[in-house]
Amino acid sequence: MRKNIGLIIGREFRERVYKKSFIITTIVMPLLMILLSAAPTLIMEYADSETRQITVVDESNIIAPRLASNKDVAFIISNNDIATTLVATSQDEANFGVLHIGKDIIENPNNARLYTTSSSSLMLEEEIASQIEDVIESERLKAYNIENIAEILDKVKASVHLTTLRTDKDEESAASSAIASSIIGLILGFLLYFILVIYGAMVMQSVIEEKSSRILEVMVSTVKPFEMLMGKILGVALVAAVQIAVWGVLLIVCSAVIMPAFMPDNILDSVQQVQGGADAALLATQQNIDPEMLTALSSILNTGHIAMIFAMVLLFTMGGFLLYSSLYAAVGASVDQAQDAQQLTAPITIPIIIAFVVTMMIMKDPNSPIVFWCSMIPFTSPIVMVARIPSGIPAWEIATSLVVLYATFVLCVWGAAKIYKIGIFMHGSKPTLRDLWRWLKN
Amino acid sequence: MGNIITAEHITKRFSEHIALDDVSVEIPRGSVYGLLGPNGAGKTTLIRTINRITLPDSGRILFNDKPITQQDIFRIGYLPEERGLYRKMKVGEQALFLARLKGLSRHEALVRLKEWFVRLGIESWWDKKVEELSKGMAQKIQFIVTVLHRPELLIFDEPFSGFDPINANLLKEEILRLRDEGATVIFSTHNMSSVEEICDHITLINKSRNILSGKVDDIRRAHGGNTFAVQYKGDGKALTERVQGACKVLENEESSTGFSTLKIHIERNEDIRSVVALINDTVEMRQFTETIPSMNDIFIQAVNG
Repeated sequence: MRKNIGLIIGREFRERVYKKSFIITTIVMPLLMILLSAAPTLIMEYADSETRQITVVDESNIIAPRLASNKDVAFIISNNDIATTLVATSQDEANFGVLHIGKDIIENPNNARLYTTSSSSLMLEEEIASQIEDVIESERLKAYNIENIAEILDKVKASVHLTTLRTDKDEESAASSAIASSIIGLILGFLLYFILVIYGAMVMQSVIEEKSSRILEVMVSTVKPFEMLMGKILGVALVAAVQIAVWGVLLIVCSAVIMPAFMPDNILDSVQQVQGGADAALLATQQNIDPEMLTALSSILNTGHIAMIFAMVLLFTMGGFLLYSSLYAAVGASVDQAQDAQQLTAPITIPIIIAFVVTMMIMKDPNSPIVFWCSMIPFTSPIVMVARIPSGIPAWEIATSLVVLYATFVLCVWGAAKIYKIGIFMHGSKPTLRDLWRWLKN
Repeated sequence: MGNIITAEHITKRFSEHIALDDVSVEIPRGSVYGLLGPNGAGKTTLIRTINRITLPDSGRILFNDKPITQQDIFRIGYLPEERGLYRKMKVGEQALFLARLKGLSRHEALVRLKEWFVRLGIESWWDKKVEELSKGMAQKIQFIVTVLHRPELLIFDEPFSGFDPINANLLKEEILRLRDEGATVIFSTHNMSSVEEICDHITLINKSRNILSGKVDDIRRAHGGNTFAVQYKGDGKALTERVQGACKVLENEESSTGFSTLKIHIERNEDIRSVVALINDTVEMRQFTETIPSMNDIFIQAVNG
């Protein structure tokens, strides 16, 4: 009866892929994500372009002369006392606020106040506070009477950027950036989390729909329940695969074509050299670029690397999806309406949430025991492993995790089919977990 | 002709109750077979057992005198009582999908579907979504899908519910036409008038048991209780007195203007001809008929008795 499964897969697939919402999420989502990630920079760029004028009343006479105006803030020194200044500036539209610095500012750094007529911004406050801090620090240092203190401080200052090179790989020891990997990992983990929850719920919902509209009854007189279950799961899996594939292609296109096109030439050159095995730290110093950014860019722009990661993501997504959707389908088959499902879905959702929480720990250490075991245990492995992969994981770990995952899936489908078979003809009473267990043993 | 379905001592238990208790049914090939019974009697469970949706705890089902297999299911068309279609799917696409699940090729399914849509005058529905159809319209689609693969055996669970009289009649004609083309039809119903009109055999199930089975005519006659109605013109009193000894007078409805009606009960061993002769002697007899109870009466009597 392979033909039947094919027909059902086809129906499930068409029903979802030809929907407008699918096309929108598939195409628009990645664009939205790119926009979202660019948003903070854009906002910084455009939002605070106005220069704020601040009138300074400095009773110590130490700070005010050394405050530097810039494009965000312009300082005007007032010789009046604070009360007069406040009255005088209150009529002045151009004036944004009054900064009042106390006499004992060096000893008591908290004795500074900013009066504003409208709400000030965090950036403005930080800017002013840091300028005052600088002055106070240098004044305090001066009190120690050390000669050439400024020069000494300049020389002492050091900025360290660690370049991580992997030595355990057989391939060329590609420079990998821990930050880039963990961010990519986090995004992938997040993506998996959503795919499992959303697509799982989708399967559950559509089983409930088939049950409550009694389509199942029409179908099971010609199709075996197992074929129905598998057809649905595989059909929806195919939809998920298409979606991820589209995203993958978009990302690869982005990394291979679009990003390089917008990149300044010297950075692009350096990136290519780093990808070719050059020393990122050295290059960065020569080109005056942040080495961390350079390594990050070189791994993002490494199309082969991206494609490999996406292939892995696809394998784990499919495994995780098949595993979870079989469970969701079993729940869907045993209830009459979506509201009744909540109690039964809790045991399914918990491991997904645990996996998501563990994913956060990967940033700290992608090889800690809890992260390792969660990437092996089938119920958390899809999310956790996918989030670990960008950090570079030994192939045997990935392979073991995949085998365990797919084996568990087969087991789960077998169990889910038993529950499904009985559940689809149970109407009326709301089943409990114990009922499901009884059906499973049946 | 033989039986297309033989159910032998079927018992099916659910956790709390027994749905079928040693039910045996024989369904002759080419018949229109009615499964009757009050709600919850076990009709749907019996149908599901025949369909192999549920398996009996004991007993067996024979299809054409051989134990039924999954392959035989393709020779059965089943229209469940609580029927459904995918609401978001287009009518034509859905009909095609269901037809192909039943083993028809795409081309074959398309040809037959078009034929049916034309016959029922619903070609314009092809590209409509199911959710745009009324309940009765959706049921028509389901009926078509059920019979499309020309199964030997058709099972309809409450096929007339939800149809207006015109469409119910249309459906009845289609069912009879399918029978004439050689299909056997089983249908379950509480609608007794439809039973009298189209069923030739019935089984009455009550409280999980088969309490009455057989040809509709035989059953009605058997439940007739040998009562007869006589329509006459003449002296009613004299008539009653005259026949008193030969039979039992149940009722004598006299009418001064037209014809009066006498209802009598003749014992099985009495000679009907002698009673008729007595009547004929006394009054001018217009009609002498056996009173056969309706299926409705039999149903109520059987279930309550």
